[in-house]
Amino acid sequence: MSKNDENQIDHRLKILSQIEPSSKATNRAIQRARDTIVNKEKSQQRANARIWRNIFKSPITKFAAAAVLMIAVGYTVGRASAHLTLDVEELKAALESSLKASLEPAIRQELIEQLNNQWQSAFAVNSAQLKEELHQQVRRDLTEFAAQTLAASGILTNQRLMELVQLIEAARIRERQQVSAALEQIEQEKIQLRNGLLAVAARTNELLSTKQ
Amino acid sequence: MRDRQKELLELLDKSGANLYALLTRLTLREDIAEELMQELFIKLINSRRFDKAGNPEAYARRVAINLAFDWRRSRKLNPLGLDQIREPASNDGSPLDKLVQAEELDEILNAIGQLNKVPREAFVMRYIQQEPYDYIAGQLGKTAHHVRALCSRASNSLRNILGHNQSQSFVKETHNVKK
Repeated sequence: MSKNDENQIDHRLKILSQIEPSSKATNRAIQRARDTIVNKEKSQQRANARIWRNIFKSPITKFAAAAVLMIAVGYTVGRASAHLTLDVEELKAALESSLKASLEPAIRQELIEQLNNQWQSAFAVNSAQLKEELHQQVRRDLTEFAAQTLAASGILTNQRLMELVQLIEAARIRERQQVSAALEQIEQEKIQLRNGLLAVAARTNELLSTKQ
Repeated sequence: MRDRQKELLELLDKSGANLYALLTRLTLREDIAEELMQELFIKLINSRRFDKAGNPEAYARRVAINLAFDWRRSRKLNPLGLDQIREPASNDGSPLDKLVQAEELDEILNAIGQLNKVPREAFVMRYIQQEPYDYIAGQLGKTAHHVRALCSRASNSLRNILGHNQSQSFVKETHNVKK
């Protein structure tokens, strides 16, 4: 690579280093990034709060809590009133089935919401890329359309120009014919004038010779 | 999570303008730079490496440079019409001059995009961001001497890439003329 080319590279790099975005665009971009950060945080907080709210609001959860409470009270009363042997396995099974019935839908709901959140964040990451691709597609279509329109208008312009040239040519021929006719008429009038003048001169000669 | 948000907002206040200017220089388009800026912070929110990064600013810059060159690469795969070229560099000169200049800048940026990641980052910081060697060394966690060597190597590679491209285009033109 020659010295000249190296200078060109330096020149281009210098131009690149001097590019400064407008302050308006910078502020807009920073604000957009800020909104993204804040909204992302809020959406996660909202999601967490929603999960817990859903769990606590769920009638099944309330029922489960009541059932657990009743079982616990029953167990305590039973143990206090009758000195029977404790059936731990039975109690465990009862608690398990009760908890399973009540918490399973809530956990499922939570899982669905978490999956939704993950999907949303993945979508947000890809949205910029998708937007750019869409932008490019639209531009491509517009460019194609512009090229086609340009070609069509070029053909039309050529046709119009040809018509104009033909009209001008016809007008010129007509004009030439008119000029030619006028010149012919002038020529005839000139001949007539000459003949008249000759007649006047002859008559004058005659008069002069008569007088003498 | 709240700490991450606070950290990101601080980073945005401190380096947001610089990151946006860098993205604009690498994409030559303010609208795309804005999109990439948003994408950058989405990536940082979701990134686990960001917490581990010793220097969040350097980490964000690295991600921004990678995003910008990824965008250039994806755009190269979908070539567009001349109407896509916008000229942010100067407001003077004829439209033809502007077009030629935009193409030249695109060419050099595409060539920079072909460099390896570490030399590319050092080169961008030195020649496009005009940062001093000591600062770059601090940001990359290397010595100033090492950064000089990286920049020099990147510069040579860039010349080779551009020289190769030019000779290729010359061969193509000659071929066309013979036809």
